[in-house]
Amino acid sequence: MPSLPDPSCDPRPVSGSHSLVTGSSDAELIDAVLAGDIDAFSGLVRRYQDTCTRFAVRMLGSRVDADDALQSAFMRAFRGLRSCKDPNRFGGWLYQIVINECRTYASRQRRRELRFPPATEAIERAVAPGSDDEPDRDVGGHIERALSMLPTEQREAFLLKHVEELSYDEMSEMTGVSVPALKMRVKRACDGLRDLLEGVYHG
Amino acid sequence: MGCVIYLKGFIMADSYDETRQAEDAVFAERVAASLRAPERAHPSFEKRLMDKVRMEGRSLYAAAGASPNASWWRTEWIIRLSPRGGVAIAAGIGAIIALSGVAVGSRISARSHSPAATAQAAPARDTVELVRFVFVDSGAASVALVGDFNGWTRGATELKRSGAPGVWTASVALTPGRHEYAFIINGKRWVADPLAVKSSDDFGTESSVIRVGTAGKSET
Repeated sequence: MPSLPDPSCDPRPVSGSHSLVTGSSDAELIDAVLAGDIDAFSGLVRRYQDTCTRFAVRMLGSRVDADDALQSAFMRAFRGLRSCKDPNRFGGWLYQIVINECRTYASRQRRRELRFPPATEAIERAVAPGSDDEPDRDVGGHIERALSMLPTEQREAFLLKHVEELSYDEMSEMTGVSVPALKMRVKRACDGLRDLLEGVYHG
Repeated sequence: MGCVIYLKGFIMADSYDETRQAEDAVFAERVAASLRAPERAHPSFEKRLMDKVRMEGRSLYAAAGASPNASWWRTEWIIRLSPRGGVAIAAGIGAIIALSGVAVGSRISARSHSPAATAQAAPARDTVELVRFVFVDSGAASVALVGDFNGWTRGATELKRSGAPGVWTASVALTPGRHEYAFIINGKRWVADPLAVKSSDDFGTESSVIRVGTAGKSET
């Protein structure tokens, strides 16, 4: 997981009474949990929650849904901790769970939107850049809205490749999708974003 | 009325040339830069999670030194048998193992949909199966197909009129496994396939289920 932060770089203080959390490796924390020290799991949560939050928020376009998806993903990870075969690669294993959980939530979002459609025209207006004589300052907002209009699998592939900066081999390992299929998804995502953002970058 | 017909077929992923990849990488870099801004979890995220973890955790991971909560299969059994009794009990154990095999098989199948299990196995799959969706409604002006395979995207898969009056069809490449889908008639009316197994989501909306078999079979 190249984009996962160095645990020692997390600037936030460690709360709680658990002294094992700060300097321990993922494998040590997992061993502690499996031995019955449940609070050691908070070290893993603290270490990975922000990185996972970025992916989930970009993937789902909603902080509320992202929070729900991550609560569920971390609980799945906790319950399945014994099946993490390589505890030193816990970050990658957790990320696989987060990706799957986000897929589930994205699918629910799609259904919700189909049954209770949002004002499509308003969304398209929001994505469309301003006119030439009206400078557009919210480029980031346009990008996020355009991203949210891509099909789920294209959005996921684009985020993993270009935001999380994973290699295609890593993406394939995490998603269970072949490298050629992932390349195609990224390509289609780029094509889609180009169409949706036409004008934002003036071509 | 809708139905699904399985057609044998294979589609391989297209190639994607390196020049175009490089062009896309430049464009993607401009787009991705703003998306890489860090996001913080909600301040209460850890506490809410750890509350749940503590509630479940004690039973999942017993503390060292705690009294052993040995399950029956960990318990050591010593059984002495006469040869005749041994044959009878061996037959019984064989039956139990056979029955257990069914249960374990179901469980493994169910686990394969869970993130944890997918994370570990999930081989790359380039091969898909072509499934033909058919919907019959002589009064329909348009029929669309939505499902998990097209991200529940309206307009992604439109059915076309076939030769017979009122018959609409579309062929879709599906990966092996379970898929959910529904039809949207005239851009508005949501209809689950009346001939397929039903599934309801969190909002009580009915969809249909198709299972595409790895051995080249579809089930509805």
